[in-house]
Amino acid sequence: MKLPPSHAAPVMAKRYEVINRGGVLSTEPPVAVIYLDGTFPKLSSLPTKQIAQKNFAFVPALLPVQVGTRIEFPNLDDTYHSIFSYSPAKRFDLGRYRPEERPIPSQIFDAPGLVTLRCDIHEHMRGLILVLNTPHFVVSDPSGRFRLSGLPPGRYVLKAWIDSKTTRTQDIELKNGETAHVDFP
Amino acid sequence: MISPKKPYPREVTSFRTKLALTIMLVIALVTAVAIYVAEGRVAANAERDLRLKFQSEVSGLDKLQELRNAALAERCRILAEKPRIHAALEDNALDLLYPSAKDELRDLMEGSDSSDQGAGSLNAKFCRFLDGAGAVLSPPDAKDLGELNTKTEARLAFKRLPDSQQVGYLNEDVDPANNAVDEVIAVPIFSTETGEVISALVVGFEPFEIGSSRAGADVKSGIWADGRLHMPSLSEEAQTILTNHLANIFSNGDRAQSNFIVDLSGGPQLVFYKCLNPASLFPHAYEICVYPLADSISQRRRLRWQFGGMGAVLLLGGFVTSHFVAVRFAKPVEQLALDSERNREQRRQAEAQLISTSEKLKRSTRYSADASHQLKSPLTVLRAGLEALLAHEDFKPEIYEELSTLLHQTHRLSGVIEDLLLLARLDSGHLRLQAEQVNLSQLVEEWLDDLAALPDSPEVEIEKQIAQDLTVTGTKRYLSLIVQNVLENARKYNRKGGRIRVTACGEKDEVRLSIGNTGQTISSDAQEHIFERFRRAVAGGAVSGHGLGLNLARELARLHGGDLRLVRSENDWTEFELCLPVAQPTAKHAS
Repeated sequence: MKLPPSHAAPVMAKRYEVINRGGVLSTEPPVAVIYLDGTFPKLSSLPTKQIAQKNFAFVPALLPVQVGTRIEFPNLDDTYHSIFSYSPAKRFDLGRYRPEERPIPSQIFDAPGLVTLRCDIHEHMRGLILVLNTPHFVVSDPSGRFRLSGLPPGRYVLKAWIDSKTTRTQDIELKNGETAHVDFP
Repeated sequence: MISPKKPYPREVTSFRTKLALTIMLVIALVTAVAIYVAEGRVAANAERDLRLKFQSEVSGLDKLQELRNAALAERCRILAEKPRIHAALEDNALDLLYPSAKDELRDLMEGSDSSDQGAGSLNAKFCRFLDGAGAVLSPPDAKDLGELNTKTEARLAFKRLPDSQQVGYLNEDVDPANNAVDEVIAVPIFSTETGEVISALVVGFEPFEIGSSRAGADVKSGIWADGRLHMPSLSEEAQTILTNHLANIFSNGDRAQSNFIVDLSGGPQLVFYKCLNPASLFPHAYEICVYPLADSISQRRRLRWQFGGMGAVLLLGGFVTSHFVAVRFAKPVEQLALDSERNREQRRQAEAQLISTSEKLKRSTRYSADASHQLKSPLTVLRAGLEALLAHEDFKPEIYEELSTLLHQTHRLSGVIEDLLLLARLDSGHLRLQAEQVNLSQLVEEWLDDLAALPDSPEVEIEKQIAQDLTVTGTKRYLSLIVQNVLENARKYNRKGGRIRVTACGEKDEVRLSIGNTGQTISSDAQEHIFERFRRAVAGGAVSGHGLGLNLARELARLHGGDLRLVRSENDWTEFELCLPVAQPTAKHAS
C-alpha cells in the first residue's frame, strides 16, 4: 500500500513518533495499521502489552490492540510521568508516578477506538492506541508493506488505519491456504 | 468757563452729543471685543485643560488595561501549554475542558495570586472557552465561572476564532434597572504543536472606571456599549439627553475621539469620548467622560464682570473726557456759530444797503442823464435858431442887439444847466475824481491871464504872489472850475479902480490859495448864506450870475479833501481862501 512520503530520515524499525498535523494524528514516519474487520470469537485471556515512556516518548508510539487487552505503562525515564487520556474510547488518568512504581500502572482497553495518550507533565508526548475488535491486525513498515497471516477463510472487510482521520477499507474474500494480495490505493 | 444758563446753539449741542456718542461707541466696542476675545481664550483653555486631563486619564486606563491584558495573555499561554486542555479540545472531551482548567480559571476568577504582576486587576466576572469554531462552550457548572444568561453568553461567540486579543464591551442584560457593562477580553489559545488557534478564552471583567480613584472630583465617566450608555452616576434625565447626543454622533460614522458640549441638568458639560477598542472584532465601545464646565463658566462670568466694570469705568472716563473735549471743541464752534449769526445779520443789512444804494445810483444816474438831455436839447435848438437869425442881414440894428442879448442868455442858461448837473452828480456821490497831479500854480496863472483878457472887465489892478509848482491831486477840470468861480467873483464884484490880490503858498501838507478883492463887502447877515445855492449876497442887475458858483466851488473843494471859506469881508475888502491837500511827493513833477 502507498503511504504519505516520510518527512524524516529513516529510523530504526518500530521507532516512530506521533505527530499532530492540523488536528490529525499520524505517525512519523508514516505507518498504517491493517486489520481484518469482522466478528471473531473472543479469547478468554489476552496477553498484556506494554507502552513504555522512554526518553520522554511513548514506545511504541502506535500500538494496535484487541478489545479487552491490558496495557502496562512502565516509566523508563528517571523522572515523573503522568499518563492520561481524554479519548472517548478510553478515559483514564494514571497520575504522577516514578519508574519504581509497582505494580506497573496499567489499563484495560475494553472499547474499540483510537486512544490518544498524553503526559500531563511533558505535554509534547503523544501515543496512540488503536483498540480493535479483531485479533487480526498488523502494523505496516514505513514503505507500506504488510503481511497478515493465520486468517480464517471467509468474506471480510480489510481496513487500513492511516491516521486519526483516515481509515481505508476494502472487501476481501479469503480462501483456505491461499494468500491474497491487497493494495490500498 | 461755561455759563450753564446760556443754552448752546443746536449745532453745538448736536456736535457734543455726537462726540460723546462716538467715544462711548468706541469704548463699548473695545470692551465688547475684549470680553469676546478673553472669553474665547478662557473657553479654549478650559477645553484644552479638560482634554489633557481626559487624555491622561484615558492613557492611565490604557496602561491598566495593558497590564491586565498582558497578565491575561500570560495566563492563557500557560493554559494553552497544559496537555489536559489540549487533550480536552483535541480529543473532543469538552466536558473535561473546564475541570482541566479548573485551577487556572479559579485564579482568574478570584485574582488571589497577588504576587503576579497586575494580578490585582485579574478578578474576572466570568470565563468561557470557545471551541475551534468560535462557539461558546458552556461550562458544566457556571457557579464557579460566573453565571451568564444564555443571551449574553451567545454574544461572546465569534464567527472565526480571533488570532489576537480582542477587547469588547457588552451590556449584560441582568435586569433593566441594573444593566452592567462587562469588559470582555478574548484571548486566543494556540496549539503548542501546530501554532494554530485551537480555542479562545473569553474573560469578562468589571470595566475600569476613569476618575473612580479620585475622590471629590465632579467628573462622571461611563461607557457607551451596544448603543447604550452606562453611566450610573448620572441622573436618568441627563442620561437620556446624553444618550440621544451620543447616538446621533455614533450613527453618523464614529470618530475615534472628540468632544462636545451638552447642557445636562446642572449646567453645560464638556463631554469627551474615545473609542476603547478601535481595532476589535467586538462592536466599538466608547469611554465617555463628562466634565462640568462650572469652573470655566464662573471664570468667564468673573471675567465678564471684570471687563464690564473696566468698560464702565472707561466709559465714565470717556464720558467725562468727551464732555471736556466737547466743551473745548464746542467753544470755537459756538463762537463760530455766533459769529456766523452776526455776520449773517450784517451781511443781510449790507446787502440791503447795497441794493438800495445801487437803486439810488441807477436812479440818479438816469436822472442826470435825462435832465441833461431834456434841458440841453431845447437850449441847443434855441441857440441854433438865434444864431441863424443873427446871420440875417436885413434886420434893423435894434433887432440884432436884442438877438445877441437872447443868445447871451442862452449861454448863461447853458452854464446854469452845467452847474446844476454837476451839483446833482455831487449830491448823488456819483462824481468820480481822477487822481491826477495838477499844478495849481500854473492853473491859477492861466486863469489870471484869461481874466485880464476879458472884454468887459473893470479897470482893476491884479496883484499876485504865487509859489512855483504847487501840486495837488484831483481832476483838473473841477479844480479849474473852483479857481474860475472864485476869480470871476473877485472880478465881478470889484469896483472901478479896485484891485485883486492872489497869493498861493504851500505849507507842509496843504496848499493855500487866497483871493481877495476890493469892492462892496458882504453884510455879516449874508455871510452865513453865501455858500448856499441860489443866494447872491449882493443884489445888482449889473452883476451877472445865478447864485450857484460859490456853492459848487466849495462842494468841489471838499470833494478834493480841502475847503473853501470866506476869510473876511469888511472895509472894502473881501477875501476867500481855498485849502487843498498837497499831492504826494512821489508824483511831484507829474504834469
